[in-house]
Amino acid sequence: MQTLKRNILAVPIVVWIGLLVGVPLLFVFVLSFLSRDSLGNIVVQFTLENYQRVFDPIYLRVFLNSLLLALLTGILTLVVGYPVAYITSNLEPKKRALSIGLIMLPFWISSLLRTYGWMILLGNAGIINNVLRALGVIDAPLSMMYKFSTTLIGTAYMLVPFMIVAIFNSVDKLDRSLLEASYDLGANKRQTFFNITLPLTIPGIAGGFTLVFIPALGLFYVSDLLGGGNTIFLGNLINTQVTRGRNRPLAAAFSMAMIVVAILVISLYGRVAKDDREGLFQ
Amino acid sequence: MKPPLLSLVDVNKYFGDVHVLKDISFTIEQGEFLTLLGPSGCGKTTLLRCIAGLESVHSGDILLHGRSIKGIVPNKRNVNTVFQNYALFPHLNVYDNIAYGPRVKKSMTETELTDRVRDVLDLVQMLGYEKRMPHQLSGGQRQRIAIARALINEPAILLLDEPLGALDLKLRKHMQTELAHLQKKTGTTFVYVTHDQDEALNMSDRIVVIDQGKVQQLGSPRDIYNNPSNLFVTTFIGDRNIMQVSVVETGETHAKVRLGENVVSIRKPKQHSLQAGEDAILAIHMDKMRVSCEETANALRGVVSSIHYAGSQIRIELKVDEKTITVVEYQKTECECNEGDSVFVVWEDHGAILLPLEEAWIERGV
Repeated sequence: MQTLKRNILAVPIVVWIGLLVGVPLLFVFVLSFLSRDSLGNIVVQFTLENYQRVFDPIYLRVFLNSLLLALLTGILTLVVGYPVAYITSNLEPKKRALSIGLIMLPFWISSLLRTYGWMILLGNAGIINNVLRALGVIDAPLSMMYKFSTTLIGTAYMLVPFMIVAIFNSVDKLDRSLLEASYDLGANKRQTFFNITLPLTIPGIAGGFTLVFIPALGLFYVSDLLGGGNTIFLGNLINTQVTRGRNRPLAAAFSMAMIVVAILVISLYGRVAKDDREGLFQ
Repeated sequence: MKPPLLSLVDVNKYFGDVHVLKDISFTIEQGEFLTLLGPSGCGKTTLLRCIAGLESVHSGDILLHGRSIKGIVPNKRNVNTVFQNYALFPHLNVYDNIAYGPRVKKSMTETELTDRVRDVLDLVQMLGYEKRMPHQLSGGQRQRIAIARALINEPAILLLDEPLGALDLKLRKHMQTELAHLQKKTGTTFVYVTHDQDEALNMSDRIVVIDQGKVQQLGSPRDIYNNPSNLFVTTFIGDRNIMQVSVVETGETHAKVRLGENVVSIRKPKQHSLQAGEDAILAIHMDKMRVSCEETANALRGVVSSIHYAGSQIRIELKVDEKTITVVEYQKTECECNEGDSVFVVWEDHGAILLPLEEAWIERGV
């Protein structure tokens, strides 16, 4: 009776996830094995051609671009996010709430709008160039837009709160008596950080990395707007194949490939954080 | 003259508006096992943390070997702490936990270190556990590793913060003996924090009784047990019957006091003078009392209200002058009494003590 009751309560969740995640995923999966006619209409005919094209050197290049972007985004957000998370968790309660509020604040504004913000900041006639020119530091505007690094900065900016929150939780959970024990045994602050704090917050780092890496793989508007399409990433490719290319089966195959990478990353995270009982997925 | 190992001089500490340590002053001698004993929240752990350098003091001074260590950070003080929850590093094995101190201080070569780790593991009887992770150890084993991790640094003082609190009763008794042995064997000065009077009485050379941030009494276990200097120590240590009496006359060593219709002679405290006519407090250890059927000199007349047989001991409750007192006997009494019988209560002379009446007692309204 008890188990039945519990199962009944789970029904809405199962239906919800089934309809909104399971069914679309199945649809994409099936689509990735279908063909299309010259007008882009889907033809129900089994083919592996879409998957063969994923391994085409041109598209492989796109894949590598995306992996590199996601990896660098992970590293950049870690370097920027760790100190913020560490300092925040050591603040007194009021300041800490304020700090977390400020970290979350950007989520209240459309991410597209925030990307335009970066264009205003970095453009040839943008704020930074104008200020530098007015100060006489430079004569000609610095070209900061439409590069790989511009996309990297934009993507990292978009995802850094996830990294901060994941690390914050990890640092916050840390037993302070371990740090005291470290000082007590003769370690200074730097030694304590590298010997105790950092190793014990690796699950948080891995969690943050996972939360940043996977979306970075698929974001397309950031590279469209800030990268100017000079480097093509997976997200752009899928987007283009669905809209202009009218090749939805190919887009589906790329999507499936992306999901596989995401699953690999998550299982890697599962290994790193296997001892951490309060990790992302528990 | 050689200065004492550690001196506390008028140490005061506040947490916000709360005055947690009030003018704490005492000294600790080389090789001593000193216990800070008090109820939870009395400030004993805070005092320990001040010595470790994990808390700062607001006024007063702490001197190690006669030199102030007030401004010295914990990692530069030659004292080590065994924390209440042991605080073993969960990501390091037993060997690396113990080697942590010498490694961060770079005080030994790796070969020296191997030998020293073996020595301290041998000392705490944990040889062979080098490769275990902390979560693979039992509470008692973690305890030993925490002690080994501290001892390898050869601290001038080892600070122990309720180290046996998390262990079960049997293991706690065992570890008490072992800790006392270890202390004698290494000759290290121990400062031990506990709220458990048995632990304190068992292991210590000297006990500092602390309540509400103040030192209540400092002395040997025997002294503290038999000659409590104030009401707090009287009620906190040992199970006593406490009664308000009035002093009839005072003599050299004893004073005659009146409780209702009874007049008895009681040992006088060394540190207090009592005048005839004033009120005082009479405290008698429950287990130093005996019930007698025949009228004896220096006895209280009472009526038995209940008798409980609790294993090896018999608890007899009596009404003496409207007040309930408890007598604990370990053998069958020579006096076969039943509820409602009128009997006499006698006691061993050193089990009873007189104390001046304190405001705290009056406030309690007993």
